[in-house]
Amino acid sequence: MASPAPSAKAPLEHPIPTIVATPPPPQKSSLLSSFASPVTSVYDRLSHWRTSLGLSNPGTTENLTKEVKTTHLTNFIFDGARADITKGLSMNPAFQVTHSFSLASQLSPASYNFGAVFANQNTFMQGGVDNEGNMNMRLNQGWTPGSTTKVATQLANSPGGHSMITLEHDYLGSDYSLNVKAMNPSPLDGSGIYVGSWLQSITKNLAIGTETLYQRPTPDMTEISTSYLAKYTGNAKDWIATAQLQPAGIVQATYWQRLSEKVEVAADLQVIATPTRRDALATVGAKYDLRMATFRAQLDSSGKVSALLEQRFAPTFAFLVAGEIDHFKNAAKVGVGIMIESSSLTPEEMGMPPQQQ
Amino acid sequence: MPSEETKERIVKAIDIGRVVLHYGWIPFIIYVGYTRSNPQPSLIKLITPLA
Repeated sequence: MASPAPSAKAPLEHPIPTIVATPPPPQKSSLLSSFASPVTSVYDRLSHWRTSLGLSNPGTTENLTKEVKTTHLTNFIFDGARADITKGLSMNPAFQVTHSFSLASQLSPASYNFGAVFANQNTFMQGGVDNEGNMNMRLNQGWTPGSTTKVATQLANSPGGHSMITLEHDYLGSDYSLNVKAMNPSPLDGSGIYVGSWLQSITKNLAIGTETLYQRPTPDMTEISTSYLAKYTGNAKDWIATAQLQPAGIVQATYWQRLSEKVEVAADLQVIATPTRRDALATVGAKYDLRMATFRAQLDSSGKVSALLEQRFAPTFAFLVAGEIDHFKNAAKVGVGIMIESSSLTPEEMGMPPQQQ
Repeated sequence: MPSEETKERIVKAIDIGRVVLHYGWIPFIIYVGYTRSNPQPSLIKLITPLA
């Protein structure tokens, strides 16, 4: 029975190349398409020309300076003592709860925060509540690969506290990104803050965009302002320069470069030149990603020198040390923290290969 | 322009929605995570920081 099988297969191998030539797509020959053909052919030609440029998506406006923000430690530094205990309860879908303790901070009183995160392919849900009962939540729902709706709220427990809600929709096209956002929109009188932004790739390296802010704190008071954005990405995506110009006289320019696989540096310059106020702040920083540690160091023109070390002693245990010295004000801040990640899952359940006996 | 009565109803609906969101969101996440998790964790592990 073994000999007929190869002989039966052999004649099949020759006809395969002749099938490769696919028939032309069927022509739509309706009355409507004959009328619309000039428009559709121009549209087709434009879209074909546009895809032939090979432009990539420039990223969202919100993430314009993401690389700089993750290199600098401004968003990561803390003072006092803190402990984060994260419990992973499921990997797919992701479900984890976090207990955060913070005390002895100069800026805020001791606090406890409980958080829960659930995420699957399309939905991301996060909620947190602190010891005073203030609650924050975030919900991201992806509809298609490029279309995401986001809701974020902060609700204060006290009646006079500050509560806010942000509704946002992101649309990522092939070479552009659109975003609309509404903060505290009121269905009664239309007050609130509305932001629309558009970022478009022009060449393979350069993307430009605008962001329009429409403020309506009360129904009879409106204010509109448009800022301009530009982002230049290096050919190998190893450096990014961005600029943001607001008509009020605020300019922000950033530069980020990956020096090696483990070292990234970033610089940030903010200039405020309004008739009433002139100010500027320059920040330079570096980030080292070592095998078991992350180290960030930063220096700015207001005289602050700061550093943050995140040392991982085991995959589930990390120790953090943060320090900042303000040379002009003669002040210092020190922070220590631990991060513990525990999991109720066995290694097999976390997707690791089973252990050999 | 909506009438005063409609306005009052909208304000009331927003207030109720706010309270529901404030006290219901985290239990909702925990419920969704607890029921959809694979494997299902035990409740004591869910709440206590230790264990």
